[in-house]
Amino acid sequence: MNRTRNNPLADDLVRPLLHTSVWFYGGVLVLASIVACGAAAWAYQLWYGMGVAGVNWPVFWGFYETNFVFWIGISHAGTLISAILRLVNARWRRPVTRCAEVITAFALMIGAIFPIVHLGKPWLFFWVAPYPSSRELWPNFRSPLVWDFFAINTYLIGSLLFLILPMIPDFALIRDRTTGRRQRIYGALALGWQGTTTQWHRLEAAMQIMAVAIIPVAVSVHTIVSFDFSMAHVPMWHSTIFGPYFVAGAIFSGIAALIIAMAALRRMLKLHAYLHPLHFDNLAKLLLLMSLLWGYFVFSERLTVWYGNVPTEMAVFWSTQRGAFAPFYWTMVVCNFVIPVSILSFRRLRTIPGVVLVSCGVVVGMWLERFLIIVPGLSTKQLPYSWGHYAPRPAEVVIMVATFAAMALLYMLFSKFVPIISIWEMKVGNQPHPAVSADEDEERQGLWRARP
Amino acid sequence: MAHRWGMVVDLDSCTGCEACVTACHAENNIPTVGPTEAARGRAMHWLRVERYWEGDFPDVKVKFKPVMCQHCDNAPCEAVCPTYASHQTDEGLNAQVYNRCIGTRYCANACSYNVRFFNFFNPQWEKPLQLQLNPDVSVREVGVMEKCTFCVQRIKAGKTAAKAEDRELKDGDIQPACAQSCPTGSIIFGDLNDHESRAARFTHSPRGTKLLEDEGTAPKVTYLQRQSWNEPDTQ
Amino acid sequence: MTPMDRRRFLKVTAITGTTAALAGCGNPENQIVRFIPEEELVPGIAVWKPSVCPLCAAGCGVIARVMDGEAEVFRKGKPGLTRMGLARKLEGDPAHPLSKGRLCVRGQAAVQVTYHPDRLVAPQRRSGDRGTGQFTEISWEEALSLLTERLDASVAAGPAQIAFLSRPRPGRRHELVAEVLRRLGAPAPVTFEIFDDAVLRRANELSFGRHQLPTLDLAHTRYLVSFGADLLGTWNSPLAHSVAYGAMRHAPGGVRPKFVQVEPRMSQTGASADQWLAVRPGTEGALALGLAHVIMKAGLRAAPAAGRAGALVDGWASGLPDFTPEAVERETGVPAARVDRLAREFATYGPAVAVIGGAPLAHTNGLAQALAVNALNALVGSIGVEGGTAFMPQSASPQAQARTLRETMAAAPPQVLLLDDANPVFAAPAAWKVTEWLRQVPFIASFGSFIDETSAHADLLLPDHSFLESWVDSAPESGATSFVATVAPPAMRPLYDTRSMPDVLLEVGRRLKQPLTPAMPWQTFEEMLQTAATPESAPTPAATGRPAATQPLTQPPTAWRAPVLDGSADEYPFHFLPFASQAFLDGSLAHLPWLQELPDPLTTAMWSSWVEINVRTAEQLGVADGDIVEVTSTAGSLRAPVVISPGIGPDAVAMPVGQGHETFTRYASGRGANPLAILAPIAEPSTGQLAWSATRVKLAKVAEADGSLILFAGATRERPDHTKGRG
Repeated sequence: MNRTRNNPLADDLVRPLLHTSVWFYGGVLVLASIVACGAAAWAYQLWYGMGVAGVNWPVFWGFYETNFVFWIGISHAGTLISAILRLVNARWRRPVTRCAEVITAFALMIGAIFPIVHLGKPWLFFWVAPYPSSRELWPNFRSPLVWDFFAINTYLIGSLLFLILPMIPDFALIRDRTTGRRQRIYGALALGWQGTTTQWHRLEAAMQIMAVAIIPVAVSVHTIVSFDFSMAHVPMWHSTIFGPYFVAGAIFSGIAALIIAMAALRRMLKLHAYLHPLHFDNLAKLLLLMSLLWGYFVFSERLTVWYGNVPTEMAVFWSTQRGAFAPFYWTMVVCNFVIPVSILSFRRLRTIPGVVLVSCGVVVGMWLERFLIIVPGLSTKQLPYSWGHYAPRPAEVVIMVATFAAMALLYMLFSKFVPIISIWEMKVGNQPHPAVSADEDEERQGLWRARP
Repeated sequence: MAHRWGMVVDLDSCTGCEACVTACHAENNIPTVGPTEAARGRAMHWLRVERYWEGDFPDVKVKFKPVMCQHCDNAPCEAVCPTYASHQTDEGLNAQVYNRCIGTRYCANACSYNVRFFNFFNPQWEKPLQLQLNPDVSVREVGVMEKCTFCVQRIKAGKTAAKAEDRELKDGDIQPACAQSCPTGSIIFGDLNDHESRAARFTHSPRGTKLLEDEGTAPKVTYLQRQSWNEPDTQ
Repeated sequence: MTPMDRRRFLKVTAITGTTAALAGCGNPENQIVRFIPEEELVPGIAVWKPSVCPLCAAGCGVIARVMDGEAEVFRKGKPGLTRMGLARKLEGDPAHPLSKGRLCVRGQAAVQVTYHPDRLVAPQRRSGDRGTGQFTEISWEEALSLLTERLDASVAAGPAQIAFLSRPRPGRRHELVAEVLRRLGAPAPVTFEIFDDAVLRRANELSFGRHQLPTLDLAHTRYLVSFGADLLGTWNSPLAHSVAYGAMRHAPGGVRPKFVQVEPRMSQTGASADQWLAVRPGTEGALALGLAHVIMKAGLRAAPAAGRAGALVDGWASGLPDFTPEAVERETGVPAARVDRLAREFATYGPAVAVIGGAPLAHTNGLAQALAVNALNALVGSIGVEGGTAFMPQSASPQAQARTLRETMAAAPPQVLLLDDANPVFAAPAAWKVTEWLRQVPFIASFGSFIDETSAHADLLLPDHSFLESWVDSAPESGATSFVATVAPPAMRPLYDTRSMPDVLLEVGRRLKQPLTPAMPWQTFEEMLQTAATPESAPTPAATGRPAATQPLTQPPTAWRAPVLDGSADEYPFHFLPFASQAFLDGSLAHLPWLQELPDPLTTAMWSSWVEINVRTAEQLGVADGDIVEVTSTAGSLRAPVVISPGIGPDAVAMPVGQGHETFTRYASGRGANPLAILAPIAEPSTGQLAWSATRVKLAKVAEADGSLILFAGATRERPDHTKGRG
């Protein structure tokens, strides 16, 4: 290992870039094959038509749209952690910011694939872009799908900026620690960063601006995605609560995904020194807060619908509470509310495994929530004669699994080429290692052991 | 004055025979999807006769209601289509422009009447059933939405014929396939701007209602409610 | 050298063009022959050609929209391409007295017959065992020789045992067949159609001297009571009825006519009724007599007003003492107060008309049922008046009384059986053992366009043109009050190497060793149709239409009795009610894909068979929609998915007829179950007609839903009980 100076922090965080274990290759291989299966499923669908999926009359949207909303939701993690916590000067964010921002970037990219996959004629997806077309038409700016186009692209560009800007000092650091081809590549990526005061000032200023700017963008993105549903007169879609509800849900699922990613990184890259139970504890408190907020929104919406007793809405309401969708609905409630509140309310239970378990439940629960927003409403619209059913078919399931694999794969590859914890931020935060006494550490470790 | 096409369906004389349904298939080159796809909910009946039961045996009633695209003045499908594939023409028709459709299916979700259908696969006609196809109507391809057009090809043909013969269009000159075939004459089509036309007059019938009127879609199909028999005064 | 005109130019270009193209192809099998167009049509411009829809007995006139197109055809046994006029769509003929410019769902689908992928394109002879459906193509020459040979042999061996089996379709085509058979010395043609109303004809013969189905003047009626007749859906002349019904509902003026439907199961027609009365199967006649009783007792009409029709009903003269409203309630299940009210309305709000048809006549007491309704009509004076019932004037030429299939099967098997679009192997109960009977027939030839269960047993297939490709005619027995004989030339040229059946018979007649004596007056069917049919002489109101085939009988009055049903009520608790489906009628239309995909009007089922059961029956059996039940009669059993219907009572189950074909093109084969197969061979005594509504069955659940029931609709109620999640 090339130790140019006594900098254990940099050493630890650059090591994954320079040393590759067989597990890495194995993992990449497995994930890449799953992704390849997804690509094959999509190719199959492109060849034969959307009919290979399970959507039908009248349930024209199903898994693809569920996954679209789900992944866009996951992408809200980065914003919250990085931007908001940066603005309020929360110190404990520092090891966590890049993990979060990476989730955002990749979740957005993956989420943005789904609007293309769900099209009947995906090769024409670019028609939602405003360019002078030979059809002599602009896109219909009244359509929420066109709003999606602008919102998601804006957020994607913003998030990428937010991610890449702080990577520059780290690229410079790696450039200074490596030789040969690596040095050239990282040198190019470092854009000539020398660490001068002016450059640092500029970077900080840019990050402040981005932090402020990205928050309304993020809020608006998922609000606009929610408009895909609330703008239509589908029973239990046409609800004013959708904007805030979706944003809250997105942040909720984003935090859960972040916790899972962090736990995985901590284990695989041996980042125990940098990602502490404290971080998980703080994120868990946020998760609890979001769970309570989620529960509040769901209760508020459902009480309103139930009290109003409008027949078209009640048909959807009961189909989720008691009917065909009831198993999914109650699983969602347990995963999103019952379990998080039960476990995260108690400090002793807010251990890393506990928090990771709750987060997995939240990811499942939030996926179900998207599904339950989309499918029951479409199954029971205003004219009962035209009520229908939906069941996913293999192509949709394979593509969905492939996107999870793609996320993991992209994450793995990213952490291979870029330090997953922002080195300079750690240094700047003056936190080479958070001071945790041996006793405190032993106590926390103890929580990991099984109890009777 | 420009035409404004509308329709009246008399539920009192509709017998639920579904002649209109098959006439529409024959006229508009609607694919037959087959049993496997029909079981998956992909049958494409642009015009369907909704059937609702009321009561329990033996005091039962059945109500039939032919439902097709309502060509709403305030169509929810038009606002949400990203490519203007669903748009209103200046004669009040909700047009579906197949070439613009990229198949988001948002319009179908937004339509409260569920009258929009999607080509999940490329339509197939086992030879030589394709010889029956109507050359005046395009055959849609996979990935495209379709629905009732009020037989726009017949509207066009009727207007062209009137122009060629240098005369005005008369009420009854243009009949969509469903209206023409309906054995009881329960489907009436016409120009709502021609106040003498049957369609315009029946639109204002006291028996007239609109489907899902409080949705605010302003449909151009008026349904004349079924009447009941009351013992007449013998005096 | 002849001047170059367009036709010659095309001919030359076509030949040289083709030759040039062919010269470029290496492989002779890839040559596509292009035939010279036989007609000049402007592409894109439609011409309208008249025709007659053959799919049911109504005989409605249609017009076909014919437009230019390119088709793969057979000319002189060779395949190739040509541009020709192709019928694209059918509409009702505005000038036709029955259709009046409208067309029913089946008529709209009829155009698919011509373009069906499984249509026979050339004559074939059997190449494997009988019934295996193995055939090889042969030339018309060979086919005609084979048929001629067989007919010669039959004629030579004494009285020609030749049977010609078709459906009862009055008209010149049938006349021609009868003429040929007569000259061959063969017996009269045989007709078979399971839903044919022979019992009603017999009753009308007795009551009114007319062996004929009635024509209803619905457009002018003020009160219609239909006893089980699906007159707006599948019965008699449904299109003409529907057109008239539309007029009835749109009639100007203050008083709304009332329509009452009386039946055990809600039919599509029943859905339109102002009042629907559930009645025990086979007791409709008792209700009719109950109405008559009340009318006579209340002094609204006197017994003698019903004339002969009344006299034929036992107890009529004394006012039908056994049919008090209370007695009728016990017999039929219709509440006494309703019987009373209905009777008074029927007698007060004229013109009133009653009609009976379909299932109520398919009972052992069918004749008495029909006589009762005839008497009721006569009582209120609805015979031969506006808004009542009448008989359509028929052709002056005597139509030979056809034989029934049962009669034919009871006699010695024919030596030659000719099939023309009749499918008794499918449409007759298994108990009739039609297949066994066919095995005894040495030679069977079929003129049908498709291989079905019956023609699969043929030795020779001589495919007819489709109706759009041939001269067609109809002379319906009901549907209008004036004589209507429709004749139409082909709307398009034949696609394939098919030949018109009447022309084939005429040709074979000319080839026989022993020529037909006297000679046939026409060389071709077209020639025959050039001479217009003449109507019978001006009819008197009660005696319009075709005279009874036999002398008026001195029939003793018939007493109405409850029907005899097959199967004991303990072991077989349910009345079995097969009904003609809107899409397929008796199953003969199951091969048309548009009709397979058509949602059934009441259940919305597509591509499916089903058994309609009451919600209580479903609870007893422990079944939900789509679960599979086994339906067993004394004569057999079948399996089908269940549909829970509010339109049927707990003592009955109903099943649509049409599916359950083993062999009938790719769209119908192997799909669903055939209720006709398990019917008990119980007959209406006076006509020998199958009492197809007299079977009792038992049900048992055998499997969970397996996806064979395909419904288009989601919910069945407009305000579903959504607390249960779905309707």
